[in-house]
Parts: sequence; structure tokens; C-alpha cells
Amino acid sequence: MKDFLRKNGILLLVIALLLSILIGVTSSLLGGNADPLSNVVSTVTAPIRSGVSAVANWAEGVYNYVFRYGQIQEELSDLRAQVAELEDQVRQGQEAIRENEQLRQLLDLQERRRDFVFESARVTERSTVNWESTLTLDKGSSADVEAGDCVITETGVLVGVVSKVGYNWSTVSTVIDTGIEMGGIVSRTYSAGILEGSFDLMSQGKLRLSYLPEGAQLVSGDEVLTSGRGDVYPSGLVVGQVEGVFTDPSGQSRYAVVVPEAQLDNLIEVFVIKDFAIVE
Amino acid sequence: MTRRDLFHKWLIYALALVPVWLMDAQILPRLPLFGVTPMLLPLAAAAVAVLEGAYAGTGFGLAVGLWWEAAYPGGFGGLVFGLALAGLIMGHLSQYVLRQSFPGYLLCAAGLLCALDGLRVARGLLTHAADLGAMLRVAAPEVLWSLVWSPLVWLLFRAVYRRVGGTRLA
Repeated sequence: MKDFLRKNGILLLVIALLLSILIGVTSSLLGGNADPLSNVVSTVTAPIRSGVSAVANWAEGVYNYVFRYGQIQEELSDLRAQVAELEDQVRQGQEAIRENEQLRQLLDLQERRRDFVFESARVTERSTVNWESTLTLDKGSSADVEAGDCVITETGVLVGVVSKVGYNWSTVSTVIDTGIEMGGIVSRTYSAGILEGSFDLMSQGKLRLSYLPEGAQLVSGDEVLTSGRGDVYPSGLVVGQVEGVFTDPSGQSRYAVVVPEAQLDNLIEVFVIKDFAIVE
Repeated sequence: MTRRDLFHKWLIYALALVPVWLMDAQILPRLPLFGVTPMLLPLAAAAVAVLEGAYAGTGFGLAVGLWWEAAYPGGFGGLVFGLALAGLIMGHLSQYVLRQSFPGYLLCAAGLLCALDGLRVARGLLTHAADLGAMLRVAAPEVLWSLVWSPLVWLLFRAVYRRVGGTRLA
């Protein structure tokens, strides 16, 4: 035992190789579910990560209060103005809904209704590598969260998609992650494209709306929603706003750079859409 | 060194890894510099390999790789073998080619970080995830920003080494 490490370096290397193969095979077999080792470690460390996260959130709060008091006051004034504006918009929206309902009846359109089943969750960890943008939530398979579930904020803004699920935790690939690929649509022009993360834009906290139609006339500030094409993800979730439209280096297609609506760095509580239905 | 001493020694090393992991996973992701966060776990593996030599470096690399795979999202198993092999190579280099000092550690850490990101870039190219330029713009700042943190990790593990490292009794 005394010279175990010194004499058995190669043995350790073989053990490491076998462990690597075991983890790799297990991960690929389990798909979106966490392998048993990750599950145990993350379950055991969940309280520690939650605790550290809570302390860090508190420290951030104190820092913001002490050093950004003026900025917070200014933001409060802006928010009050926005609330007043939004209240006005809500009144207008209610009128529009009524009018819309009448138009639907007139056109004899079948009404679509989506039933979302929510699960609230707290963000316990943010992405730790520069190659992916992920969040860890404190809810997992014990709360019926599944890989592929969409995650939104309390205002219905898309945060990302659950990519891995453990017993009491889950990992969410955010909308700017390069693994994300879903249908998107610009609400003003109904131009459809593919929402996808990109290494170029991830560090800036943005994503792309690729494969835009040739005639699409997008302008900065256009709202981008999920299209729900294929019924894999719900439609109508707000993703963000168009910042600019560019042509691919190949010159064959155009894409829009989208700034996500969700404040990915400041999320504390989110909602997982565990189920949704399209009734036609 | 008795079995108890050996256990004590590696327990202290494992405990030293905890603050590195918490910084890496919990604190630094909240404070990205131009959108970049550093990787601290490879620095820990490099520090122990340089200080303790090839075979202990292999064992510690294996443990760090296992922890990385288990505690971080997106693992596929390769880090366990990769960091164990890196520990073996870095330990040999520090014993026979470089010196068991900070410059030697810095070279090993830089090599390991470049190798890790090089593999990621290669994987990205093979899967057509992005073009080379885009991935290098992620990899280069990550390696540099990680190296900025290398003295801190070195000081931590050198302090542990001075207390319980080598064949010292715990």
C-alpha cells in the first residue's frame, strides 16, 4: 500500500480508461437522463450548491444595494413608467382580444388552446464553461421534469430547454447554447427561421435566427417567438428581439442576430413547462 | 508513511480541491471577463502532478476527471482518462525535464489547457459545430484567462504539499 501509487501508475491509467469508457457508454445509453454517478454526485452536492448560490445571491444583492443605489433608483423610475405604459397596453390588449375573438368567430376558425403544466424551480448554478451556456435547476425527475421540456420566466420568456435530468436537479441548455435548435418566427413579418446558438455570439449573450427567407424584411427590435413547428416545443414563447440582419459568409443565406429577452445572468426562479397540448 | 498518513494526505488534497471547485462552478461564472470564465480544475490537476510526481499525478488526475464528469454538465467520460494521462505526463515532465517549480507548473498547465481546448476545437470541427476561427475565439481567451488564475491554485496546492506532500508524515 505504501508505494501503491508509485508502482501502479499504469494500472491507474487503465482504471481511468475503463471508467471513461463506462461513463461514455452509460451516458450514450441513458440519453437525456443523468448517469448514476452524476446523479449521485449532483444529488449529494445539491444542498452545497444551493447554499453557495444563496450566499452569492445575497452578496450580489448587498453589493447592488450599496454600490448601485443610484442606478437602482433610476431603474425604479423607468420601471414605474413602463408599468404605466404596460397597464395602458393591457387595456388595449383586452379590447384587441375581444375584437380578435369576434374575428375568429366570423372566420369560423377553430380555436387553438394550449394547456401548460408548470413546475417552478430555482436556479442553483450557472454555466461553468465557455463552450456551453447552461443553468442547473433544483427540480428533476422527482418533480416529473423531463429532457426536452421548455423553461420560461414568470413573464413567459423562453430561457432554454432541459437537456439532462437527475433525481432532484436538471440541466437547462439556455437559448444561446450551441446545442439549441428550434423553430423561430418573427411576429411582425411571420418570417420563419431556425433559432440556434453560435460560438461567435454566445459570449455576447446572443443567438441566431438562421435560414431566413430571401424576402424577409426584418428591422432591429422585431420580436422573435418560437414557431412550435413540429410540436416538439410550444409555439408563441417570446425568445428575444432582432438586433441586426446579416448575410452568411457563404453568401447563400441570411441570418438575424437575436438578443434574448431573458436576463440569463440574473435568473433566480424559472418555470418548467412539463406538458402542453394543442387542441385543434 | 503509514496507510493512515497516506489517507490523511490525500484527504487534505481532496479538501483543497473543494474551494477550487466552488470557485470554478459557483463564483467565477457570475463574474465573467468579456464573457469568458476560467477553468480551474485542470490547474489543480497540473499543480499536484508537478508537485507529487507522475504516479500520484495520475491518481489525482483520475480523481479530478471523475469529479469533473460527475459534477459538471455535458460530460462524456473522456476527461477521466484524459486527466489521468495528463497527470502521468506532467508528472514525468516535471521530474525529468522541467523543474518542480512554478515555471514548470505554468508550462504544464498551459499545455494541458491547450490540449483540452484543442480537443474541443477538433471535436467541434468534426461535428461541424462552427468554423475554426469562431472556436479559437472561444478557446484562446479561455486558456489565457485560466492561466491568470494559475498562481492562486499553485499557492494553494504548494501550501498543502509543504504540509503533507511527498513522503512527509501528516
